[in-house]
Amino acid sequence: MELVKCTDVNKKFGKKHVLKNVNLTIPRGKIVGLLGKNGTGKSTLIKLINDMLTPTSGEILINGEHVGVESKKIISYLPERTYLDKTNTVDKVIEYFEDFYENFDSVKARKLLKDLELDTKQKLAKMSKGMQEKVQLVLAMSRKADLYILDEPLGGVDPATRDYILDTILTNFNEGASVVISTHLIADIERILDEVIFIDKGEIILQSNSDELRKKENGSIDEIFRRMFKC
Amino acid sequence: MLKKLLKYDLKSIFKFLIIFYSLALFFGALTRIFLSIENSLMMNIIGQICSGTAISMMFSILINNLMRLWVNFKHNLYGDESYLTHTLPIEKRTIYASKIITAAITLFVSVGVIGLTLFIAYYSKENVELLKNMLLPVATAYGSTIVKLLLAFLFIVFLEFVNALQAGYTGIILGHKMNNVKTGYSVLFGFGVYIVIQMIVLLVLLIISLFNPDLMNLFITNQMVNVELLKGVIYLTTIIYVITFIIGYIVNVKLFKQGVNVD
Repeated sequence: MELVKCTDVNKKFGKKHVLKNVNLTIPRGKIVGLLGKNGTGKSTLIKLINDMLTPTSGEILINGEHVGVESKKIISYLPERTYLDKTNTVDKVIEYFEDFYENFDSVKARKLLKDLELDTKQKLAKMSKGMQEKVQLVLAMSRKADLYILDEPLGGVDPATRDYILDTILTNFNEGASVVISTHLIADIERILDEVIFIDKGEIILQSNSDELRKKENGSIDEIFRRMFKC
Repeated sequence: MLKKLLKYDLKSIFKFLIIFYSLALFFGALTRIFLSIENSLMMNIIGQICSGTAISMMFSILINNLMRLWVNFKHNLYGDESYLTHTLPIEKRTIYASKIITAAITLFVSVGVIGLTLFIAYYSKENVELLKNMLLPVATAYGSTIVKLLLAFLFIVFLEFVNALQAGYTGIILGHKMNNVKTGYSVLFGFGVYIVIQMIVLLVLLIISLFNPDLMNLFITNQMVNVELLKGVIYLTTIIYVITFIIGYIVNVKLFKQGVNVD
């Protein structure tokens, strides 16, 4: 059974048709890149999978079940924005995650935070945006989830830190789990992708194994993407 | 999970309200100290200023309690923090229940702090006697005691607050179903729902008055109505308020379970 299955999913905001008949499957044990330009519907699709939005029509199944409590137990989601209560310290946030997620590994979280030289006693409000994003990434990757959904994980960080983040993702996701990474910074992540999904104007225009695609199109994913979406 | 959610919701509200609680109690204590110093005009003036400040703090507690609950509801369920709230493995009805229980507890505590501030600032045998003399005729007229009368008053105020609060929650939920001007629609819908609740209470009373000429007098004349009838009206409106609260709760949970649209 596929981990995620979207069938004829549509999402409209008033007259604006943001997602159009999206059909896709995300298999187990793969790192999938959800690639597209800004404003093409990547985040909307991710929000639908995470119950942040409701589809106008269509069906989304996670592990064979509709989006709900059970799907939230197995999905670890890293949104593109900072979402934690900034009046809390990192320690308090860890306590919060321990309380609500049975699969949260606080020892791992503390180790990763120490590696990143982040002070757990510091309040989030006192941290820079980049530091807050690192904390959020650590929290997301410290869950033993079946599916990790990372929305623009490299968006707000400097190029030097990007490699560290990618390594953190690669070395910390649960064995047998899948990772969906949504980004427009393709060159930075293509080395770790098993599969790619191209999305444009709310439509899935391609889903393929990355090695096969590189071979078929004779170029890197970044080059293929640039060719396909040339303005 | 409800217990855990409650723990965090209560912390989030109280860490803000505690400032107002402290200020109210502080100025309550200052009022007592300065007003107890006799034969000093200056101390008396300072005491009066502290008394005014303590009273304004008591009002602030109630207003801020209500405002903070609405703001928290919006931030937790439709703001940035909603990215965490909605991805917690918790039923939507549990999230909503936590918000309502938090509201009830914080309002209860706030009323308690206001009572304590009043006690600290103004308790004296003379003031108690004065209060008794004011309330006794009303309590006697209603065939009740002063304590029961005060409790009934507090219960009605409490019901009014939770109904207003829930109307605001309904407004926020409905407002965020819109695609634009969500905050504007939230205020509009919240206000609308509150007016509708008041209209329902009046409408039910009006329908009953069609079969009760004494009650009809309440609507069409300015004659004094008898106490028994007034007591009946109070009981009835209380029951209607409780029913509208329960209906509002069920409707909000259903609306909430339909899903959210977070920006």
